[in-house]
Amino acid sequence: MSKKEKTVVIEPATRLEGHANVVIELDEKGGVKDLKFCVTLTRMFEKFLEGRLAEEAPILTPRICGICPVPHHVCSVEAVEAAWDVEPPSAAVKLRDLMMQGKQISSHALHFYALAAPDFLAGPFADPSIRNLVGVFKHMPDAVKKAIALMRIGQEIVKTIGGRSVHPVTGVPGGQAKRLTEEERDRLLKLIDEAEGLMDFTIEVARKVVEGYLDVITKLGVVPTYYVGLNVNGVHTIYDRKATVRVMDPEGKIVADFPKKDYLQYVGEHVAPHSYATHIFFKPAGYPEGIWRAGPLARLNVADKMETPRAQELLKEFRDAVGRPCHATLAYNWARIVELMEAIEKARKLLEDPEIVSSDVKRADVRPREGNGVAIVEAPRGTLIYNYWTDDEGVIRKANLIVATNNNIAAVEKSMLVAAKQVLEERIHEKLKFPEPWFK
Amino acid sequence: MPVKVMFVQLASCWGCHQSLVDLHETLADVLPQLEIVYWHTVVDYKLHDVEKLPDGSVDVGFTEGFCRTEEDLYLLKLARQKCKLLVSYGTCSTYGGSPALLNLYQIDEGLKRKFMEAESVVDKKIPDMHVPKMLEYVKPNREYVKYDLFLPGCPPEPPLIAEVVTSLLRGEMPKLKERTLCDECPRVKSEVITIKKVKRAFEGIPDPEKCLLEQGYICMGPATREGCGAVCTRAGVPCRGCMGPGPNVLDQGAKMLSALASIVDYESVSPEELVQSVKDVVGTFSKFTLPSSIIPKAVSKKK
Repeated sequence: MSKKEKTVVIEPATRLEGHANVVIELDEKGGVKDLKFCVTLTRMFEKFLEGRLAEEAPILTPRICGICPVPHHVCSVEAVEAAWDVEPPSAAVKLRDLMMQGKQISSHALHFYALAAPDFLAGPFADPSIRNLVGVFKHMPDAVKKAIALMRIGQEIVKTIGGRSVHPVTGVPGGQAKRLTEEERDRLLKLIDEAEGLMDFTIEVARKVVEGYLDVITKLGVVPTYYVGLNVNGVHTIYDRKATVRVMDPEGKIVADFPKKDYLQYVGEHVAPHSYATHIFFKPAGYPEGIWRAGPLARLNVADKMETPRAQELLKEFRDAVGRPCHATLAYNWARIVELMEAIEKARKLLEDPEIVSSDVKRADVRPREGNGVAIVEAPRGTLIYNYWTDDEGVIRKANLIVATNNNIAAVEKSMLVAAKQVLEERIHEKLKFPEPWFK
Repeated sequence: MPVKVMFVQLASCWGCHQSLVDLHETLADVLPQLEIVYWHTVVDYKLHDVEKLPDGSVDVGFTEGFCRTEEDLYLLKLARQKCKLLVSYGTCSTYGGSPALLNLYQIDEGLKRKFMEAESVVDKKIPDMHVPKMLEYVKPNREYVKYDLFLPGCPPEPPLIAEVVTSLLRGEMPKLKERTLCDECPRVKSEVITIKKVKRAFEGIPDPEKCLLEQGYICMGPATREGCGAVCTRAGVPCRGCMGPGPNVLDQGAKMLSALASIVDYESVSPEELVQSVKDVVGTFSKFTLPSSIIPKAVSKKK
């Protein structure tokens, strides 16, 4: 490196769950030569799952992520069931679906209000001491109270179905260890009433943010990539045993819609020498051409429509403004609100289904066997793939996991490189239209 | 005056922090009393901001997670240096936690599986640029720095967190409860327990009222500290021991094994059959506490 070249290290990357640094390499003119998104931690669950009893895997793997333990729990138990060829009772599947929706509600509310909103509400130029949830709380206590209420509702649903709000335990190969009683169902329905009321406010905040920042959203860090997400005949879903995995190319064409068990033909992992998280990509397109994104924006891009009516209206509004496919990274936050609406509507639908209070939630005749099982669900931040190989005693011999956020690592890096060039070389932040901060 | 706090995330899942967020409306009372000087998931302060703080200037620090890399260890030592009072927050920080089961393998085997052998990896190599070096084994954090308080749980349940946080805010040192999980479990136990067979978690349908251990399921209650409210046994599944060893228990796994050995009906099952029926002894009995059990030391000595 010549004397005038410089490296800027952002350590750590903040307001994300997990560990990463950003390394920006500048040339002698101050231009951005390269940017590396360095994920600095891995705990290697794939290895220590080897030798464990398969039924204990759903207890262990939620510890991959404390914000989204539910999809890990559900995906883990269903990969074991797939390996053992066990079909859980339909009421158990509905309980798992409800638990997934509960988690979607709390995680999306947390992500929107605690991780993302402070940048928009305080503005990106505000001091770190106020540009955070506590800062928002001091200036907009009512908004934060509503955010907390939404998070509480989602977590209450998870706790009621899963036994615990963090790291649920009720998913057992063959079904669910705990049924939902009528009293619990009625209590959760009341919470859904409350959540629907809170959504009006949340949508209003999101609309104001989008209107204010439309210039920034549509111009900063925009990168075309592939997209991946589950769907059932084109309809958006985060959990469905019949769902297939759709892939959209950067032009907006659906280039694959494959059954879960075939994932190895379509999903590749590129090892970047500077990151303990691999870069996931669409294997037929190769790396880096096939870099894809997962999560709310990707799921909206690949879906023809939402499953529920109010979410469908919001999707229409979203598409009218940003199109399909939308490559604007900052639009993730808006997509999250569309999905939050669907999760609330879906939770109501499940709670109003009489079968949800069935006591037939667990098979008594589960037998371990040698097998290879794949399960795929949508975690709040992306497509989650579990593959277990078990022996005839039901012990895990091998495990391959593609974890939700991993899908986005390559695109996060690409997006930050674009944004870094825009900011450091073109000084785009001086030209973009920013709204007045909500508070100072 | 607000209390200066830092929340440190080492190798962990953020579940302990999520459990803090799960105080819900109580958070609205707690937040304004805090001045957060570091919490990378929530506030944009960087590492150099912490390095600049005078030593001992932070009132309370909470560490979540264990040290997997040299970067984690650096941050842990930095937190100790800056904080007057350091709280070991959660089971990973206190006993090593479940991802420390990797101690059963060499670190290179873990890296190899993930980056060289995983079925979906296309270009096999182990990352070595701008990433911190892995530590060979997970040790409990207390072997690296001194702590003032331990708050176990994976994660600690919100009521326990509320209790601890409110007493700290009052300037009092909280005290952990001193009984075992069985003492707070509502399930009905017989005077004398004997089991004829050890069952795996998926076998049959457990009776909803009766002690799970009595029904043959390996429930870690007798070897585990109370404080979670017995959330798992209330939800129909056995305790896996995430609160860590009960009071005065040196090794949680060994304690549970001896508890189990004392209740088996040896006329129905021989000691050999009992051992063989548990296919994964370490993962079953030391799921959350391997680094603080006597097992890893034996492994290290063999090396």
